[in-house]
Amino acid sequence: MSNKIITMVRKELIDAARDKRSVMAGLYYAVGAPLLMCGMFFMLIGQLTSPEDLNIKINNPQGAPDLIKYLSSKGITQGDADKNKDILLVVSDDYASNMAKGISADVTLIADASNEKLQKSIRRLEKNLQQYSSEMGSLRLIARGIDPRVMQPIKLNVEDQATPDSKAGMILGLATMTMIYAVFISGMNLAIDTSAGERERNSLALLLSHPVSTGQIVIAKIISVTLFGMIGLLLTLIVSKFAYSFVPWQELGFSVSVNSSFIGMMMLVGLPVAIMAACLQLFVSFMAKSFKEAQSYLTIVLMLPMMLAMAASYDIAPDTLQWLPVSGQLQALIEFIKGRELPGMQLAISSLITLAISALLAFGMQKSLKSEKIVFGL
Amino acid sequence: MIQVTNLSKRIGDVQALDDLSFSALDGQITGLLGPNGAGKTTCLRTVFGLLKPDNGFAEIDGINIAKSPVAAKQQLGLFPDPFGLYERLTPREYISYFAELNGLSRSDAKHATSSVIEKLHLADIADRQCKGFSQGQRMKTALAQAIVHQPTNIVLDEPTRGLDVMSTRVLRDILRDLKNQGHCVLFSSHVMQEVAALCDQVIVMAEGKVVAVGSPDALCQQTGKNSLEDAFIQLIGTDEGIAA
Repeated sequence: MSNKIITMVRKELIDAARDKRSVMAGLYYAVGAPLLMCGMFFMLIGQLTSPEDLNIKINNPQGAPDLIKYLSSKGITQGDADKNKDILLVVSDDYASNMAKGISADVTLIADASNEKLQKSIRRLEKNLQQYSSEMGSLRLIARGIDPRVMQPIKLNVEDQATPDSKAGMILGLATMTMIYAVFISGMNLAIDTSAGERERNSLALLLSHPVSTGQIVIAKIISVTLFGMIGLLLTLIVSKFAYSFVPWQELGFSVSVNSSFIGMMMLVGLPVAIMAACLQLFVSFMAKSFKEAQSYLTIVLMLPMMLAMAASYDIAPDTLQWLPVSGQLQALIEFIKGRELPGMQLAISSLITLAISALLAFGMQKSLKSEKIVFGL
Repeated sequence: MIQVTNLSKRIGDVQALDDLSFSALDGQITGLLGPNGAGKTTCLRTVFGLLKPDNGFAEIDGINIAKSPVAAKQQLGLFPDPFGLYERLTPREYISYFAELNGLSRSDAKHATSSVIEKLHLADIADRQCKGFSQGQRMKTALAQAIVHQPTNIVLDEPTRGLDVMSTRVLRDILRDLKNQGHCVLFSSHVMQEVAALCDQVIVMAEGKVVAVGSPDALCQQTGKNSLEDAFIQLIGTDEGIAA
């Protein structure tokens, strides 16, 4: 009994390996997706680590050379006229003399506060001006023999509990999503080819007229598509391992490595998802009348796991999502990446639900292969 | 032996099979002759359990196909219409795949495949992928698949369609061989020469019913005609849909 399943799986794999479309579908994704993610990380890191110089317009800069020097050391400079950001800083004419007398010297910040785009720049300028102001104040107190700490009744200490790895969690969440999606993309073409394609080429009726049960046929097809999905996942992980090693993580203050324990965990957690992906795709393809129809259905159906995955990685999800397929596994993997304990219970339940859905779909397929409508497209 | 009893099957608005009964015996070639749309393919699909009859049943060597499909199919070999080749497999892989599905072990399947390849003179194309095969090559591959596991009953759906004279002769010789070895051969056709040349028993079908049963000679005598073609026209009462 199991021999026939092995025979069918072997045949499906030989057949698929010779089908350029099936192989390429997996390969393109496995190579393309990690590289695209890398490109995105490069851009993200560029934005996070080197804030742009802020160009503002300064009136009467020669009135306060020390302030100007302080600001420019913080990346705020008087830029070219066309590049400045509609922020005007006016140093009053009596700035120097007021400074010398130890009374408040006027500096005026002129900008449109309703302009959303300017908000960040204005806050940055204000913060730096206040820092300069308190630095000057401290110097004055010291000059008068007073401890500047009398001016700071409260000293606020902020302890950031984010570990380097947990900062990486968000970014790796995105990366994990693209990895787990590989099981859907890699097996897709094979799933269509072996179901809708098999019927289109008239070999389904021939297969069914041989002494194999529909259950055996369904199991063999699920195994084949799952294997393809898992191979795609493994390839994606291997390509990621190499590609991510080129991303300059140290500039973000943490490092992300796709190490072997992560790959192992991913393969283990990905297996139920791959089985469900195979069942879902085969089921939809068997329902479709032709190869092309199956393709267009699947594109829509594959939005579903994509949305579940997005919801999980952006943490915009209601709690129920942690029990569902794809999102449940993804949330568990993100916890694992953040260096926290793997939520075993949650992972077990969502994996069981994933397998239960697979079993239902497989049962439906096994039924549908007994239906004349499905087999002959009547 | 293949026996169908009181088969009825409705597909959509068409009564495809209407209380059809016949039997095809071992050691005989039985031809299912009928015009296009007579229900020949529907009948053969029902024999294989691919279609469920509304009424009646089909038995293969006494095994009811609806009740124990796997055991019944074990006794059957199908030469289907269309062929249903896997284009990316070679004939050797294709034939041995179906041999294994019929319960042969991997090494037995290999041996059986080699011998059937030799028998059908397929050696020159046996290790080439089926893509781009000619109709004759496809026919031989599909036929090899049907007989590789030596089933008692071999069912062929329109076997001579699209074949040239040489391929048709090869096919005929093989069918006669099978008959002489004691197999039950059942084939559907609408080509008179084929049926006249090969069959021990002809079942004339029209509109899902059996119109007449007998050897080609007997049918000619029954209708008082000289050729099977004329007898056939006489029997089904119209000259619609006949390919000579």
